[in-house]
Amino acid sequence: MNPNPVLSKQTPVTSLQVGHGLACLTLLVLLCASSAGQTQNEAVGAVPGSAIHATHVLGFEGARHNDAGDLKIQGDAVQFQRNGSPTVQVSLSSIQDISVEDEDKQVGGRTMTLGKTAVPYGGGRLVSLFAHKKYDILTLEYLDNSNGLHGAIFQLSKGQGQTFKKDLVARGARISSPDDRATPQSTPEVKHDNK
Amino acid sequence: MTTNREMSLASTKTTLSLPDFHRRKRQCGALAALTLLLGVLQFQPFVSTALAESAKVQKDLGAERWSIQVERVDPGDVALEPSFEAAIYENLLEELAKTEQFKQLLRTGDRNASDVSKLFILKTTVQKYTPGSETRRAVTTVNGATKLNVRIQLVTRGGQVVLEKVVDGNVRFIGGNLRATHSLAHNVAVILKRSTLPAQADRVPEQESGKGSN
Repeated sequence: MNPNPVLSKQTPVTSLQVGHGLACLTLLVLLCASSAGQTQNEAVGAVPGSAIHATHVLGFEGARHNDAGDLKIQGDAVQFQRNGSPTVQVSLSSIQDISVEDEDKQVGGRTMTLGKTAVPYGGGRLVSLFAHKKYDILTLEYLDNSNGLHGAIFQLSKGQGQTFKKDLVARGARISSPDDRATPQSTPEVKHDNK
Repeated sequence: MTTNREMSLASTKTTLSLPDFHRRKRQCGALAALTLLLGVLQFQPFVSTALAESAKVQKDLGAERWSIQVERVDPGDVALEPSFEAAIYENLLEELAKTEQFKQLLRTGDRNASDVSKLFILKTTVQKYTPGSETRRAVTTVNGATKLNVRIQLVTRGGQVVLEKVVDGNVRFIGGNLRATHSLAHNVAVILKRSTLPAQADRVPEQESGKGSN
């Protein structure tokens, strides 16, 4: 009849749940912070002309989807090499168009998404609010030996896309129009990610 | 005595008739087997001829498969990002290759296209594009979907439209914005797989007026 014993039993359980939730949240926030810091350092440390770290999204013949590797200009070719895999390359003369856009993406991939789902009280959503990062999306259109058109997409750290594009153009790669196609933010329809 | 004699004669007759009966039976069996064998041998050339003809028909049907050339995506009036154009194009090629419906898959501008006799051209025009946000999807779940709406046309080299459909591709929950292009390409491949393509180029049906959205 006395409610005090019931309360004394419920309070530790609730506090334990809250504790778990907070622990998950803290862990995820730490993971996000470390991931963001790492990529920022990469972006700052990028030197024009040198190999840059990129993720091949799709379309580069011979490379697998979502492979991370080094993208560089070697001689008269653009090369992509994943650690331990043979280099795949495309000659600069075969490039028909280059474009760079920026995109806002959630960091952490599938693991992080699952982790966020596991956080109680919708804490995962709160993490999602901060666990995002801007990337440059580099699109290369090139022709193969049979004159067939290919479209390759790479994901680079913010700021590296424009530098790489300038390098490519300086070394003779073609672009369809002199004005930058990579500024879609000016039109609201094209704006890719307005958080 | 007489009775005994008659009985012995009868038994002798019986003993003589049993082997005879068995011999005749064996002869009949052998004759039946021979007839059956002859019959089979007689039919064998016909059977083999029929099988060969069937294989030939199947081979011909295989040889008559269409090839397809995927044209680059036409953004139409929609301001679509170049990465989306490229992703739709590449995903279409991948998804169509998975279905194994076409003999050959060719890209835009491929020189080998001129040598292919039975060639379809797949034209994709973007009608509607709603840019989404992965962050908004992750935070709200119900908001921030990336939506694509395209019109596909399967055209012969002569310009006859064989198939025309409106197809959607969306990403609503988990995944990056470019996943909408994969979903779209998959839907296009499914539509083409389900559609009946004409056997001959000159037997191209009328253009489909109903636009089935997927």
